[in-house]
Amino acid sequence: MIVNLYPLKTFKLPIIAECINPDMLKGKTLDDMRRLELWEGNKRRTLGELFKIEISNPASSSENVTIIVNGDVSRVKRIGAGMKSGEIIIKGNAGMHLGAEMHGGKITVYGNALSWAGSMMKGGAIEIHGDAGDYLGAPYRGSKEGMRGGKIVVSGNVGNEAGAYMHKGVIKIYGNAGQFTGFRMRGGTIYVQGSCGGRAGTCMVDGAVIVVGALESAPPTFTFEGVKNKARIDENEAVEASFYLFVGDLTENGVGKLYVARDRNPHLSNYEKLL
Amino acid sequence: MSVVTAVTCPVCGCLCDDIELTIHDNKVVKVKNGCAMCEAKFMGYSSEHRLLKPMIRKNGELVKVSITEAVKKAANILAEANYPVLYGWSNTSCEAISVGIELAEEVGGVIDNTSVVCHGPSLLSIQEVGIPSCTLGQVRHRADLIIYWGSNPWSSHPRHIERYTAFSHGRFKKSAWKNYVTKIKALVGRKKVQSAIKRLFVKEKIPSAVALSNFRHTPYLQTGKNSRKLIVVDVRRTKSAEIADYFVQIEPNKDYELLQALRALVRDQELEVDNVAGVPVEYLEEIVDAMVSCDFGALFFGLGLTMSGGKMRNIDAALSLVRDLNMRTKFVIMPMRGHFNVAGANTVFTWQTGYPYAVDFSLGYPRYNPGETSVVDILLRKESDAALIVASDPISNFPRKAAEHLTENPLIAIDPHMNVTAQVADVVIPSAFAGIEAAGTAYRMDHVPIPLKKVVEPPKGVLPDETILQRILAEVKKLKQANVREEA
Ligand code: SF4
Repeated sequence: MIVNLYPLKTFKLPIIAECINPDMLKGKTLDDMRRLELWEGNKRRTLGELFKIEISNPASSSENVTIIVNGDVSRVKRIGAGMKSGEIIIKGNAGMHLGAEMHGGKITVYGNALSWAGSMMKGGAIEIHGDAGDYLGAPYRGSKEGMRGGKIVVSGNVGNEAGAYMHKGVIKIYGNAGQFTGFRMRGGTIYVQGSCGGRAGTCMVDGAVIVVGALESAPPTFTFEGVKNKARIDENEAVEASFYLFVGDLTENGVGKLYVARDRNPHLSNYEKLL
Repeated sequence: MSVVTAVTCPVCGCLCDDIELTIHDNKVVKVKNGCAMCEAKFMGYSSEHRLLKPMIRKNGELVKVSITEAVKKAANILAEANYPVLYGWSNTSCEAISVGIELAEEVGGVIDNTSVVCHGPSLLSIQEVGIPSCTLGQVRHRADLIIYWGSNPWSSHPRHIERYTAFSHGRFKKSAWKNYVTKIKALVGRKKVQSAIKRLFVKEKIPSAVALSNFRHTPYLQTGKNSRKLIVVDVRRTKSAEIADYFVQIEPNKDYELLQALRALVRDQELEVDNVAGVPVEYLEEIVDAMVSCDFGALFFGLGLTMSGGKMRNIDAALSLVRDLNMRTKFVIMPMRGHFNVAGANTVFTWQTGYPYAVDFSLGYPRYNPGETSVVDILLRKESDAALIVASDPISNFPRKAAEHLTENPLIAIDPHMNVTAQVADVVIPSAFAGIEAAGTAYRMDHVPIPLKKVVEPPKGVLPDETILQRILAEVKKLKQANVREEA
């Protein structure tokens, strides 16, 4: 079943729409869907009041629900939060907490996503073709439950603290990353193809951060372990290039790995004399 | 003429409660014990910018109205809004804040205090790491090592050093005043010698060892084992740095690296670099020695740490440093709160909602996620549709875009002064000065509650914040009940 959603107006107030989730729409009729509740500011609304809903392929089994959101939903928070199956395609920008705590299924955004995309994700996949905000895959305030599985791929840039408190899973960033990428990470891999702001991997205990572009500076609390020719992203994928390998963070007795490409980071060449 | 003693100063987070005021003809005529900021407040609070009458904007002009009309209008705006923000709260009493939170819940709005632009990052980190702290009395009587990081108490909290830290006279720790005088003498002497050297060897290159000595102050003469040591870490040599035993001048926005390096050194780990944040590691080792060998250390940090690059993670590192230090000695840490009752705002918010600031009631229950539910971010994203500002002036100190959004929507200001926010507001309600014209409670930066005194009568017809808010709340409740009846 394919459900098409069209925003009925330009949203000004923040909207919390946990009902835009394939599991919630599974087996529902159009009328049922229209009555699903969401919040606009401090008022209760229904999905039908804010979105035009169209169902195509209702004949196919209600098992596989694909939701296609056509338009800008950057004010709509928690789309696909906790989803376990199915697919969401957003043709526009997505709001905060996209796919928060999702367990399975797939979300694709043809636009940007705001902060906390894939927050505390446990499985499934998120693909963002534009930029992502801060705290990509990181937990909400005060929580230490980082990402525990799944994969996030961002074609553009991301803000600060991508993958903070991450335990497992993969984040791939093809653009640039902000500061504190992989902060307090305990496992998993973050791959940054562009340049990366400072403090990458600080306070990490385990896991790996791979920076192919320029890294602002290496944290002083990491030890230099030498030059490596390969960095592994997951079981099936590795990057072959000459990398400086730093291990830390010393302040947390960590054994996390920070790979920094050698050719793009001549300012780190003074470490070579430690070899 | 009468003298009132033990008055609490409603200016900064030190909340000095030993002020003596002389009152004549319902006016403060003399202030004793206070600092310059305190004197300025008590002597000049009733200036020509004082608001005396409620006003409502009609056809673009603010016109004077009765308090009942202003309260009704304010209640209407709030009750109709879909996502109102209620902001300010750090310059009023806890009693008023408490009513404010009830109002926020009633109207389904977002309530936030000024922590969002000062120590918000500290609160976030405290929630993640925890905070080993104590009261200022403990520091006064026991601390033998004081660190000010990114804070210049000499100008921002003028009596902090004198009442609680280096220059205070505690039961077990003597004041460092004597040392300070000796040090100034030594410093003058050193400067003389240096300038003589310069005159003699002006063309010679400075050897690298001098670079390290630049960081080092002349150690003051230890006059007794009970004297205290003072360390100041800042990007520039402030007045507080001048009186310090160690001054660490750090490159801007590098606090995080320095804190992490100190942590590693405290844990006896070797660093592979020669200098961190522009400070030689050798000098850092000296500082770490001082930290580890003290009996009771106290680290105070200010906005120089919370608002520089790294923000909450700087505090994360500072808290972790203190945690690490506690494995070797006794150490505490405390944020230097600015407004006199910002700690009270956090405390009352936490009692009533579970969270210290940035609380969103739009779903009927409190939610908290700064960055999402913090007022500045909401305004920057242009999400709110009305605002109530209590005892604060966000229009003049928020980012321009955020301030613009405030003016684009209905705006209510409750303030004793005609500040910039009141000038552009749609409803303006004058209020009595908390701590001068209205009594109440405030929390000191170490979370000790201290009573605020009412020392003079407010101008006729001017009410305390608490009463004004209660009246708005009652009006909002009436409107809501009427709505429910209509729907039924
Ligand atoms: S230090 Fe602060 S509280 Fe104390 S008198 Fe000065 S302004 Fe008032």
